[in-house]
Amino acid sequence: MKTPILWAVAAVLAIGMSHAQAADESAGETLYSSNCAQCHGPKAKGMASFPSLAGRDAEYLSSRLEQYRAGEKVGANSGLMIPNAKNLSDDDIANLAAYISSNFQ
Amino acid sequence: MSEKRSIQSLGATIAASALILGAPIAAHSASDGPELKHTTVLSDLENPWDMAFLSDGAMLFTEKCKGLSIRLPNGNVNHLLGMNGTEGYASTADDLVCAGQAGMNGVAVDPDFAENRTIYVYSASTISDLRTNRVLRLKLNEELTDVSGRTDIVKDIPYKQEATDHPFGDSGAHNGGRIRFNPDDGYLYVTTGDNHNSQLPQSGGSLGGKVLRIDADGKGAPDNADATPEGFDPRIYTYGHRNVQGITFHPETGQPYVTEHGPWHSDEVNALVAGGNSGWDPRPNMAGRGDCPDNYCGYMPNQNEGMDPDERRKFMPITDTATYPDAMKPVWGNNGLSQGISSGVFLTGEQWGDWNGQLAVSFLGIGFGGTPVGQRINLLDLSEDGASVRNVVEMPVPTGAMRYRSLVQAPNGDLYAAVDEGQIYRIQPQ
Ligand code: HEC
Repeated sequence: MKTPILWAVAAVLAIGMSHAQAADESAGETLYSSNCAQCHGPKAKGMASFPSLAGRDAEYLSSRLEQYRAGEKVGANSGLMIPNAKNLSDDDIANLAAYISSNFQ
Repeated sequence: MSEKRSIQSLGATIAASALILGAPIAAHSASDGPELKHTTVLSDLENPWDMAFLSDGAMLFTEKCKGLSIRLPNGNVNHLLGMNGTEGYASTADDLVCAGQAGMNGVAVDPDFAENRTIYVYSASTISDLRTNRVLRLKLNEELTDVSGRTDIVKDIPYKQEATDHPFGDSGAHNGGRIRFNPDDGYLYVTTGDNHNSQLPQSGGSLGGKVLRIDADGKGAPDNADATPEGFDPRIYTYGHRNVQGITFHPETGQPYVTEHGPWHSDEVNALVAGGNSGWDPRPNMAGRGDCPDNYCGYMPNQNEGMDPDERRKFMPITDTATYPDAMKPVWGNNGLSQGISSGVFLTGEQWGDWNGQLAVSFLGIGFGGTPVGQRINLLDLSEDGASVRNVVEMPVPTGAMRYRSLVQAPNGDLYAAVDEGQIYRIQPQ
């Protein structure tokens, strides 16, 4: 009897741990649809002057978002993007990068 | 935790600003209109830009980088005229290209289509040494499967050749591009843009920053020149515009109305007067301004950072009545905000209830510098003389917030809306 309970506890702990560390895609989805989709599109394929994010890997997306958060100019329209990155936390960036990179090819 | 907090604070900021700035818009409830339902007529399009209907309900539509197609009443789609690099079109024209905001834009059907099968398209082209925007005249075959007999009836609408140091500063910017026949006078009206070139709007020698009024051969309406200043190109109807993406005509008076995209502030609806100046003049070293990046003051005094739209308006008005006291005053100014006003159409028909006769205007949404994004369709109730707006309501669009690019009414009175996301919707009263 004891062993299975211990295993179960360990398993729950392990799941909890991995959740705490790995990005939370569903939080990324919520944030994306409320704060990003109006420019980059519901499928992140870009619209008008707003670039496609589809097919970018998480590392690329995070580093861009960190640049914009720091107020760095990247392309001609950074002025439009910077205010949208200003208030993102490290977790937000990780969640967004995970959500975008694994859902939009 | 930190992630939650930042989501909430972002949301709260948006909600708060929408509350403050949105208040005057929402003053009247939208419930005076009919209940609406919607159908997705086409999806997975690439930047659909404009539509035009034949009398039987067949719908021509453009995609900015692909070309011209037609949706038949039975729902089938025939691809008619493809642009450079496309496949699957009955004809292709390698000179038709897209870049940035430029590409294939407006489409219109000749008032005598039943006799002459003629249609018109506005597109960017590489035929000339420098790229131009053009108005193409085409014949649509009886089977609705192909077009032929291309004649470029306007060949010299300027196109932005090179990127500049401005927001949205890529090449191909500010083309206008809507084309519509006025049922009242039978002329084709063509809206253009300023290309981020400060010289164009007030220059009578250039077709940029103008509304043109031409016949089916591209010749100016004879009375244009009576109304415009000496020396103006005879095709020019009105001038001093920034980037006019929408034009429509009052169902009773034929009065043309345009939607004019504002520079970080003041989207406008204007009632056009022949020879009128819309008052946009972004030249440096005038009207109290000094030098500006790449000689264009259109986004100054502070191009890339958010600031109070009212401060911007004082520095760089879209309608400069101090310099041009006779400029056409806007009928409506979107509460001083720029949210990407994109097109307009008068709703007609009893089925629209209180909205019958009102002007529907669409917004792409921007969301720059604290301005609420503002993706929506508004209904403007114009005063008796058509010179001001009595009331504004937001259409409770069943499609949800989208980048609305084009509004067109079908022959049966249904409203069609194209969105940059790639859909064309039919919106109907229940
Ligand atoms: C107001 C419109 C707007 C919104 C809202 C917006 N962006 Fe952007 N975004 C832009 C523009 C414009 C650019 C290009 C900026 C430039 O030229 O440097 C951009 C660039 C980017 C890039 C870099 C793309 C590349 O190819 O390098 C990423 C990543 C990005 N945005 C992610 C996001 C995320 C995530 C959100 C939501 C938190 C978001 N954006 C919200 C307009 C927007």
